Amino acid sequence: MKTHARRRPITALQFCGFALPSLLIWTGVVAVPFFYGIGITFTDWNGLSMHIHFTGLQNYRAVFGDKTFLVSFWRTVIYVLFTVAASNVVGFLLALAVTGKIKGQNLFRAGFFTPNIIGGIILGYIWNFLFSYALTGFGKSIGSAWLSKSWLTDPYKALAALIIVSAWQLSGYLMVIYIAGLTNVPEELIEAARIDGASAGQIVRSVKLPLIRESVTICVFLSIARSFMSYDVNLSLTAGGPYKSTELIAYKIYQTAFTNMEFGKGQAQAIVLFVIVAAVSLLQVRLTRKGAEQ
Amino acid sequence: MKKRVVAAVLAGVMAAGLAGCGAAAGTAAETAASHEDAAVSEEQGTEEAESETGADAAQEPVSISFYTTETGKDDMFQDLIRDFQEKNPGITVEYIAAGDDQLQKWMSLYASNEGPTVSLMDPINIYENRERMKDLTDKELIANIQEDALSTFTFDGRIYGAPYTAAGIGILYNQAVCDEAVGGTFDPASIKTRSDLEDLFNKIEATGRAGTMFTGVNWSLGAHYVGITYGAANGDVEARVQKVADLKAGQLSLADDEVINDYFDTFDMMAEHNYNKEDPLVGNINMDAQAFADGAAGTWFMGDWAWTYLGPIVEEGAEFGLLPVPLNDDPDNEVNTLLPTSFAKGYCVDASQNSKAQQAAGVKFIQYITSDEYAEEQLAKIAGQALPYKNFNGEIESPLGRSTASYISAGRNYDFYGTPDLLPSDFWYENGAYMCEYISGACDRQTLFSDMEAYWKNIQ
Repeated sequence: MKTHARRRPITALQFCGFALPSLLIWTGVVAVPFFYGIGITFTDWNGLSMHIHFTGLQNYRAVFGDKTFLVSFWRTVIYVLFTVAASNVVGFLLALAVTGKIKGQNLFRAGFFTPNIIGGIILGYIWNFLFSYALTGFGKSIGSAWLSKSWLTDPYKALAALIIVSAWQLSGYLMVIYIAGLTNVPEELIEAARIDGASAGQIVRSVKLPLIRESVTICVFLSIARSFMSYDVNLSLTAGGPYKSTELIAYKIYQTAFTNMEFGKGQAQAIVLFVIVAAVSLLQVRLTRKGAEQ
Repeated sequence: MKKRVVAAVLAGVMAAGLAGCGAAAGTAAETAASHEDAAVSEEQGTEEAESETGADAAQEPVSISFYTTETGKDDMFQDLIRDFQEKNPGITVEYIAAGDDQLQKWMSLYASNEGPTVSLMDPINIYENRERMKDLTDKELIANIQEDALSTFTFDGRIYGAPYTAAGIGILYNQAVCDEAVGGTFDPASIKTRSDLEDLFNKIEATGRAGTMFTGVNWSLGAHYVGITYGAANGDVEARVQKVADLKAGQLSLADDEVINDYFDTFDMMAEHNYNKEDPLVGNINMDAQAFADGAAGTWFMGDWAWTYLGPIVEEGAEFGLLPVPLNDDPDNEVNTLLPTSFAKGYCVDASQNSKAQQAAGVKFIQYITSDEYAEEQLAKIAGQALPYKNFNGEIESPLGRSTASYISAGRNYDFYGTPDLLPSDFWYENGAYMCEYISGACDRQTLFSDMEAYWKNIQ
C-alpha cells in the first residue's frame, strides 16, 4: 500500500516531464489550428479581410455543390488507388529483392530509399524535365511519335506521370517497412517450406505474406493517407495542368484558399478531406486487422 | 477513472486553446478595428500630424519590412534597400521576397500580425484589401507619378498604391530575323492589320524559322491574351467595366461579341504559326526565350519583362521590339496599333498592422524608390522597363523597355486594366486553364466562351 502511494507523485512528475511538453506542443500546433480551422469554415473570411461574417453551413453546401471539387475528388480516388497499389507492390518486391542475400544489398536499399529523401518538390521538377524534355528528346531521336510529345501536356498521361512519380517516391519508404517485416519471418519456417517442396512463389505467398500482415497494414495505411494528401509532387510536376486536369484534392484546396481567396470554402474542403481520409484509413486498418485475427 | 481524468484534462486544454483562439481572434478583431479607426482618422487627419510622425521616424530608429512579388529582382531590391538605409539613417528595411505563390506568404504574414509595411503587389490585391492600406492621395510622392499611371491604383477617388513600372504587353520581334524576312529594315509600324502580321509570319517562315511563338502557360494565355480582349477595343474604361458587369449578370454572350471574336481570329492565326505548335503546352519561358534569342522563332507573344530572361543570353547589340496584337483587318482601326501597357504591380503601405512611424517610413521608402536618381537608374537598368515617374530621364537598357517607352511617349498606348477591379485575382488561373485547353485543341471556341461566361457568372 505504501509503495503504491509513493508511486503516484513519481507518475505525475513523469507525466509533467515527458508527456506534458509533447501534449502542449501537440495542442498548440495540431489541436488549436484544427478547431480554429473548423471555426473558419462557418465564415466568409478571404484570408486577409478585416471583416468576418458568420455564414453558417454555406461553405459546406458550396463544397458539395461544386462540380469541380467532386471531379477533383474522384480524380484523387483514382490516383490513390493506383499509387497505393503500385507503391506497395513495388515496395514489397524491392524488399524481397534486397532481403534475398544478394551482393551489395545495403547499397540497393540506400538507392531505393533515396527518392523519399529528395523531397516532392525537387523530385517533381526533376521528373518534369524528364517528361517534358529528356523523354521527348529521346522520342524525337528514335522517331517515335508517342514519345515525342510531353506526357505532361496530355490529361491522361499527366495523371499517369503523377502516379508513376508518386509510386516511385513512396515505394522506397514502404520498402523499409516491408524489410523490417521480412527480416522477422523465422528462417526455419522458410527452410521447412523449402524441404516440403514449396517453390519460391509459394513461399512468398503462403509463408512470408501471412507473416508480414502487420507490415502490409501499416504500409497500406501510410500510402493511403499520404496519397490522399499529396500536394508537393502535384505542384512541381504538373501544377494541376494541363488545364486543371491533374488537380488533386489537396492542390484544389490550396487553390481555393490562396488563389481564389475563398478561405472559408477552402477550409471546408479541407475538413471534408480530413473526414474522408480518416474514415478510409480507419476502415482499412479495421478490415486488415479483422483479416489477421481470422 | 484515470482515463476519464486524462480525457478531462485533454478536453480542458483544448477548450482553453479554443478560448485562447477566440480571445486571440477577438484581440485581432479589436486591433484591426483600432487600426481601421486609426486609418480613418488618419485620412481625416491633417498633414501636420503626418509630418510629425515623419519627423519622429527620422529621429527615432524604426524598422519596416518590404514584401515583393516581383521575382528575379532580389539583388536589385536589396541594393536599393542598402542605398535607402544609407540615405535614411534610423530606418531599417527588412526584405521579404514572395515564393512561388505571391498571396500565400502575404496572407501568412498578416495572419501572424506581421503585415509588411510596404508591399509590391498586383493592383487587384491592393484593391481587394484597401481597408488595410494607407491612403497615399495627398502624399508628396504621388506628385511625381504620371497621371495616367495612377488609375489602376485609384479607388473611389483615393490613391492606395504607386506603380512599379509600365510593362508593355504584345508580340516581341527579333529585329535581325524580321529584317532578313522582309529583305530590308523591318518597320514595326508597317503592321497595321491581322493580315499584315500573317504576311510577316509567312515571310519569316520562308527563311526556315517559326513565325511566332506562344508560351503555353496559364498566366501568359489567361491573364495577358484574354486580358487584352477586355482592353481598349471595347471603348473607354467605362465601356470595359460595363462589359464585365454584363458578363457577370449573364447579359452578354461572348459568341456574339465582335471584339473577343476578332481577337480570337488573330489568336487562331498566330497559333497556326506557333513554334510550339506540335506540343503547345510544353511551355517553358526559359527555353522559349532561348528559341527567340536564337532566332528559331521570329516573334513571341509575351511582354517587355521577358528581358529578364533574354538579357543574359542575347548577343550584345541585338535589337528587339514590341508589336501590338492586331484586332482585325481594318487598317484604320487605331486599336490595331496601340500597345497595352500594364501597371501590373504597385507599392502600397499597410495601415492595419504597422505603427504610424512605420507607415511614415514606408511612405518615405516608396518616395525614394519612385523618385531617387540612383533607384530609378537601377530600375531602368535591371527591371528594364519604362518608368512612369515624371522626373525620370535616364536610359532604359532593355531594347524591349525602350520599345514600350517609345509607344508611351508617342501616345500610342492604353492602360491594360484601366481600373483596379476590372479583372479578379483568380482571372488568370481560371481563364488560363480554359486557354490552355483551347490552344491544345481539346475544346472549340464555343466551349471556351461558355466556360468564360460561366466563370463571370460565378463571380459575386
